[in-house]
Amino acid sequence: MSIQPRSARLLYSAIACCLGLTSTALIEAPALANTAGILNPAPFDTTDGQQIYEHVCRGCHMQDAGGAVGAGHYPALAKNSALASRQYMALTILMGRRNMPAFGASHAIGFGGPPAVLSEAQIAAVINYVRSHFGNHYKDQISAAEVKALDQSAH
Amino acid sequence: MTVEPETSVSRRRLLSMIGMAAGSTAMYQAMHSLGFAAESTFQGSAPLSAAPKGASVLVLGAGMAGLVAAYELRNAGYRVQVLEYNARAGGRNWTLRGDDRYTELGGGTQECRFDQGLYINPGPWRLPYHHRGMLSYCKRLGVALEPFVQVNHNAYMHSHNAFGGKPQRLRTVKADYQGHVAELLSKATRSHALDADVTAEDQEILLESLRMWGALDKNYRFVKGSVSSERRGYDRDPGGGLSARPAFSEPETLSNLLHSGLWSVLQFGDAYDFQTTMFQPVGGMGKIGEAFGRELGPLIRYNAKIVEIRQDDTGVAATFEDLAAHSSRQTLRADWCVCTIPLSILGQIPMNVGGPMAQAIAAVPYCTGLKVGLQFKRRFWEEDEQIYGGVTYTDLPIGQISYPSSRYFDSDKGVLLGAYIWDQINSMDFTAMSPMERIAKTVEYGNQIHPQYTQEFDNGVSVAWHRAPFAMGCFGLWTDATRAQHYDNLCAFDGRIVLAGEHASYLPAWQEGAVTSALDAIGRLHQRALAAGAAA
Repeated sequence: MSIQPRSARLLYSAIACCLGLTSTALIEAPALANTAGILNPAPFDTTDGQQIYEHVCRGCHMQDAGGAVGAGHYPALAKNSALASRQYMALTILMGRRNMPAFGASHAIGFGGPPAVLSEAQIAAVINYVRSHFGNHYKDQISAAEVKALDQSAH
Repeated sequence: MTVEPETSVSRRRLLSMIGMAAGSTAMYQAMHSLGFAAESTFQGSAPLSAAPKGASVLVLGAGMAGLVAAYELRNAGYRVQVLEYNARAGGRNWTLRGDDRYTELGGGTQECRFDQGLYINPGPWRLPYHHRGMLSYCKRLGVALEPFVQVNHNAYMHSHNAFGGKPQRLRTVKADYQGHVAELLSKATRSHALDADVTAEDQEILLESLRMWGALDKNYRFVKGSVSSERRGYDRDPGGGLSARPAFSEPETLSNLLHSGLWSVLQFGDAYDFQTTMFQPVGGMGKIGEAFGRELGPLIRYNAKIVEIRQDDTGVAATFEDLAAHSSRQTLRADWCVCTIPLSILGQIPMNVGGPMAQAIAAVPYCTGLKVGLQFKRRFWEEDEQIYGGVTYTDLPIGQISYPSSRYFDSDKGVLLGAYIWDQINSMDFTAMSPMERIAKTVEYGNQIHPQYTQEFDNGVSVAWHRAPFAMGCFGLWTDATRAQHYDNLCAFDGRIVLAGEHASYLPAWQEGAVTSALDAIGRLHQRALAAGAAA
């Protein structure tokens, strides 16, 4: 993965903005009658990083995180030096990148139903999983609070 | 100089600044904002005037947009060359039949084992009557069409936690929903709740129309009896002779109906894109791409993977790898380029276009649609359940089951569409499975609706669009905000390059979007070529 200068600036200013910020409690939506009919899929609410990888990311990044090549390609996450920045990874998942859909609640696009949204805790869990598997050995971890702060700083 | 597409981060940032509201949940709201309610702009098939002598065009991609562009440009006298990644024409216009072999990204390979004459369309599968561009090319290319059954009152609506998990016929859900709403509205009218809005004379007419629309009795009630059974069907159908006195059926309660959620899929057949009459090519949607392929013959170079697109003041060059020959890179050049490569792939190919087009290319993620075709040993949906074509809707992850609109009453095997998933969570989940796992899951879920599945299942095939090597996604997902910011820049000429495809249309996912976008693009190309020819 490469980042063009202009975007890199934005990205890193977003990262810088939120360093040192502390957690704010997640606000739960009030319970409502089911007005979505049968078009609302069952919620995907696991916070197990491996589960999230296998049900969401694996579709494109593949079983071994080796990516794939066809007319275009999906990048490998295995031994990927771009993953050195946990914040870069978080922002990519929150906001999407070209063909990769956004998974942040304020960026994801649905079609004929709700979009595929991952919570800050889910995003943190899958980042920590990928950065410690597939030949990646990063010691630092990202928290849900840090993901949330990154999301807010990018608005 | 090369301008690389801007990354999504700043793209998204801009979007949020102009007030993007992501995450709409309502089906029709989504369809509207995605342009699904838009009409075809097809204006008939008036040919282009003669091309300037010697003028040439490079067409990248032999899907519907590329094929239409190449066909019309060739007919006008342009020297046309088409480069296509696959070994066949059509792109997402594609039919899988017995003996076909398909390898998806990740290496999963499937041998389709359907019987002779049976097929599944992994991509587009139906043509609305108002998609006149598609219908016109079918006619011109001799592709036979037959009716596609979208609405079947005897197909099911199913929620795994309503009515004890028992599938309900569309017929009864529609009759009951309409009947209860009509009864309520007539109550409101007769208790003078509408006096301020409706005159006394109009109320009389309204009441009579509600009685008709809702199948109400003479007292404006929706109750068990001959009137309601004529809509929702009978417990025992009327017949002849001594044994044939009808037994009326009992309507469901309004509360059960509302809580079932089934009302949410009642409107599909009323949407402009799904209204009767719809059509399908006899033998599979892929017949259209195949016919174009025969028509254009040697103009199409297959197995060509584009690796670079470069323009200068006098023309456009596309560099490609020949996948069949494993040869070194080759380059083709022409005066102009119509590029129909999906944005999911184009965004990764070096191409020297300006910032506005590059940013537009990077701004459109792709839907994660997925289909599973299942062959069964007999057509039990017809034999046991009297379902002839049409669609069953379910809240199970498979989304829909669609029954074949051809070969009715055939006593041999049959193929149905066992899953058509486009809600993002479930389609990603299914995409992440192996092809065989997807098929097994589809049979497992479908068995909750048709218990015959276990006994009758024969074989299956699945296509997850994000794993299709030539598309890497189902279709472009636009929002109102991305359209406002990028759509015109995506469609406008950049130097000698113009883009076309469903992604460059207000008819996302529909082939008509590809056709009308191609015709629009080559019309503008022709004007430029004529102007350049006159200047030369």
